[in-house]
Amino acid sequence: MRVWPWLLALAFTLWVLLPIYLIALSAFSPREAVYAWPKAFLPGSLSLETLRFFFGVEGVWRATATSLVVAGLTVAFSLLLGAPAGYALARFPFPGRDAFRVLLILTRAFPIVVLALPLAVLFLRVGLYDTPLGVALVHTALTLPFAVLVSASLFLSIPKELEEAAWTLGCTRTQAFVKVVLPLALPGLAATAIFAFITSWNEVFAASVLTLQNKTLTAYLLTLLDESPLPFKFAGGFFLVVPALVFLFLVRRYLFTLWGISHR
Amino acid sequence: MGSIRVENVVKRFGKVEALKGVRLQVQDQEFLVLLGPSGCGKTTLLRIVAGLETPTQGEVYIGERRVTHLPPRLRGIAMVFQNYAIFPHLTVYENVAFGLRMKRRPEAAIRQKVREVAALLRIEELLERYPAQLSGGQRQRVAVARALAVEPEVLLMDEPLSNLDALLRLEMRAELKRLLKETRTTTLYVTHDQVEAMSLADRIAVMRQGEIVQLGTPTEIYHHPADTFVGGFIGNPPMNFLPVVAEGGQVVLDGLRLPSPAERGPLLLGIRAEDLEVFPEPVEGGFAARVLVVEPLGPHLQLTLEREGTTFRALADPGFAAAPGATLYLRPKEGRVRFFHPETGKAL
Repeated sequence: MRVWPWLLALAFTLWVLLPIYLIALSAFSPREAVYAWPKAFLPGSLSLETLRFFFGVEGVWRATATSLVVAGLTVAFSLLLGAPAGYALARFPFPGRDAFRVLLILTRAFPIVVLALPLAVLFLRVGLYDTPLGVALVHTALTLPFAVLVSASLFLSIPKELEEAAWTLGCTRTQAFVKVVLPLALPGLAATAIFAFITSWNEVFAASVLTLQNKTLTAYLLTLLDESPLPFKFAGGFFLVVPALVFLFLVRRYLFTLWGISHR
Repeated sequence: MGSIRVENVVKRFGKVEALKGVRLQVQDQEFLVLLGPSGCGKTTLLRIVAGLETPTQGEVYIGERRVTHLPPRLRGIAMVFQNYAIFPHLTVYENVAFGLRMKRRPEAAIRQKVREVAALLRIEELLERYPAQLSGGQRQRVAVARALAVEPEVLLMDEPLSNLDALLRLEMRAELKRLLKETRTTTLYVTHDQVEAMSLADRIAVMRQGEIVQLGTPTEIYHHPADTFVGGFIGNPPMNFLPVVAEGGQVVLDGLRLPSPAERGPLLLGIRAEDLEVFPEPVEGGFAARVLVVEPLGPHLQLTLEREGTTFRALADPGFAAAPGATLYLRPKEGRVRFFHPETGKAL
């Protein structure tokens, strides 16, 4: 039957969207509405009261700022290390290239839970503990494999002849990269950057274990969660979900590149 | 001076020897075509001249300068790629101006030069467009314009017409010929299409398996192929090769008697299809063959014939009456027969 695929799609969509909708609804509802039971499925009275309360809590803004710094550093590291590595993978045959590719993915095979404690000890020793830089380094380790592989497939999709043409027209290798390759790679690199940003923004475990005072927003919310009122949780949840949604909306085109579908 | 000199260039990719000590000299203002089947090393040779590959051994000179180890940008070359390699994020104008901008020419000079080559290539209307909005033929023109704009000492072209459809290819071929006569740019041109090579080249270098097997004008190569490979590769249909036996310094095929280069022994007789005259009746100085296939091609009738187990082709007038199975008589035109060594394939 033709109807089944549609029903299935509808079910999946609801499965994803319904919780997000409910969180958003609660975040914009007045306090009484959040506690009310049964839940109103349609917004009765919208208010910014809950969100205002959320941002009024001590430390939220500081944690947000820390999150931004960590995510910003993660993006910078991912691009600065990932793009050149991806370029090398795409353009230069070197011994062990395929092994390198597999190893990159293997780095994700170690659960962060296993790594976090030794890392904490190491970070304490070298003075990176409880710093945004330390957290950003761990987050970079998480995002780097994807940054490398995505940018590799990105550079692979840009014909080598374009670069060669630029060389014959008077460019050095660097000039050719900046004038020809980079403008063409930019949308894809932007997607990689946003991916790194979201990964860092949402990561909670490493951020919790490796910090004490300088917690990122997720880590901070985690510590507050148990002892905070329900509306606070909803507001926090909503605030965390929004960047991911914006990201997905912006990069849905490039997700195909991310998954290597558009390339042979 | 835009001459090119390639000296004993060897290129190895791992264990594969792509070029086996190639020597080549392209004169100033000459149009030289590197012709050969795919994998013969012609593109590798072009890329070595361009500086996109480095030779394993040997030297490359452009003009009087030794450029073997210079990067492409310092060689005074421009290149047209098989897939055009037009920058998709720049307008046609910016594509053509790219090389001039890299040379830091003043804006006014750039504008004038771009207009000039755009007029030459008839793409003035397209200057504000992006490559995605162009047809294949238009992209081709842009690629040539971009290369000519920098006024290179040497123009390198890598199968520039092979991505065009047949009709457009014919048109662009004529256009390129006109253009390069006008600009008098020394050109090294790679193709596997022998018709293209014949029509464009001042001289053709036929390559096979990493070596230049013959270098000469199109007429020389067509009429005096250095070996059976060249004879078979150039011309459509390819040259016919009939096994014959010389005796007493003569080759005898029915009524045909020709002086042979060898006193005695087996030989290959090479003759082009259009150099065989076809007769329905036995004729003085002719030999017999049986018709296998008759193909009316328009300007002439292409006959595939068989004699003593060897098939070969001949061209007859379109009105010639021939049917498969019939016996015809063929006479080579005066002075058009070539002899080749039956084992080495070399011309004798």
